[in-house]
Amino acid sequence: MWDIIAIDISGRHRIRDGYYLVCAAAALSVSADHIEKIKQVAILPRWLKGKEIKAPQLPDIVQLIEDTVAKLDYDGTLVTEKGDLYNQPLWVSESMFSGAFKYQESMAERRAIELAHHISLSARNLLLKELNIEAGQ
Amino acid sequence: MEKLSQVRHPDRKYNLGRGKVEELAEFVQIRGAEIVIFYNRLSTTQIHNISEICGCRVIDRFQLILEIFAKRATTHRSKLQVELAKLKYELPRARATVSLLKKEEKAGFMGLGGYEDSYEQDLKKRISRIEKELKSAEIDDEALRVYRRKQGLSLISLAGYTNAGKSTLFNTLVKENAITMDMPFTTLVPMTRALDLGGRKALLTDTVGFIEELPHWLVDAFKSTLDGIFLSDIILLVVDVSENPELVRQKLDTCHDTLWDRIGGVPIITVLNKIDLISSEALEALLDKIGHLAPNYVFVSAKEGTWLPELKDEIRQHLPEWESCTLSLPNSSEGMSVLSWLYEEGIVHKVDYGERILVDYEARTEIIYRAKAFEMELAE
Repeated sequence: MWDIIAIDISGRHRIRDGYYLVCAAAALSVSADHIEKIKQVAILPRWLKGKEIKAPQLPDIVQLIEDTVAKLDYDGTLVTEKGDLYNQPLWVSESMFSGAFKYQESMAERRAIELAHHISLSARNLLLKELNIEAGQ
Repeated sequence: MEKLSQVRHPDRKYNLGRGKVEELAEFVQIRGAEIVIFYNRLSTTQIHNISEICGCRVIDRFQLILEIFAKRATTHRSKLQVELAKLKYELPRARATVSLLKKEEKAGFMGLGGYEDSYEQDLKKRISRIEKELKSAEIDDEALRVYRRKQGLSLISLAGYTNAGKSTLFNTLVKENAITMDMPFTTLVPMTRALDLGGRKALLTDTVGFIEELPHWLVDAFKSTLDGIFLSDIILLVVDVSENPELVRQKLDTCHDTLWDRIGGVPIITVLNKIDLISSEALEALLDKIGHLAPNYVFVSAKEGTWLPELKDEIRQHLPEWESCTLSLPNSSEGMSVLSWLYEEGIVHKVDYGERILVDYEARTEIIYRAKAFEMELAE
């Protein structure tokens, strides 16, 4: 079994005031083809506000991931989809994180990312609604 | 053969930059090449523009895959699947293709008109006809799968990257003579044979191999074939370990990518094939690299036929569970006929012939129920 932290970020499209990103990090133990245990989940929303702000940049994404992972009590290799880091080569992404990092490979890692995706998307939808953030495109 | 690569972002007109295309044209001229194959996906206009400059045929890797498939397709169904894949590949390019043909005043396009629409419509009609035909084959397959499961047969599929040695392993396991070659996509038509697993009967299916970035239209076109893998009871994921470890990792990554969202909870056994071609130190180093991508791994050499009992043991452990019971039958002709039926349907571990016949028996639940009903019937 391997300890991983599956990461997903929702909200990369612009809404009226900027970008409302929600990052979900799930600490899990996985085998090659199954998630064996879900140990903890952390969620962190972040506003990138302002008309001058274009799309979130790679350092913004890396910082958001690092801050979300810092909320977890467990260690593990960070795993994301390649697209989440703008398809950067692995050596570029690896060098930007303080801990071990890799892109998803095995079935279990892909399933874990799917889990993190559902968490970040649902959390963002809920926050948009509860905080009355208008999603004016 | 020459190889050319470019680091910068793809160019809209040529995919490569203009300078690189001219360099490519020089290579073509020096080598007298008849065809240029691009790894990247090319648009119709890019293919047209590059072939204008190079003066030879230009295809991308997807067209290459389709051409290999077309060559290997032998049955009516596989031919339909290849045609469907070709049409699905062509559909989004239909308008551009017609526009380019019209520009060059090719025969059949005599003047202005709505050719773009009609050509696209023709493609759509043909796609829908083929899909309908394949759908009926899919329904037949599903009915067959249900029937086989009812008969207590477990369905096992060989999956893996193309040219991993699936057909060789298939031949060795079921003592068959399926065609094997050291080239990709030798198997396009799935082949199923019975496999004896020490009393448990199973059906082993050899299937089409995977390839990196398997395009979705290809998966769609070969759905009825690939369903054989996705809907089986156990998947044997065959890996060629004699290759470079990084390549093995990439190929396993591709297999996981193809399988992960389609197989549900089906157990996977990773068959590390061709171990006769690798030293034990190299194998250890390889396992360090690919361990996280190799669930329930076993080593085999399909060609040499070694380690097969270990593979069969591993398969047995993952078969759907059977129930065990002890039956008491009268020592009469009726009792013997039930015993004979028990032998056919499950595993008889022990028989004691006395005043009554005592049988230690293992079979799937439905058979156990029926056996107990016979036992009660004969006791009355």
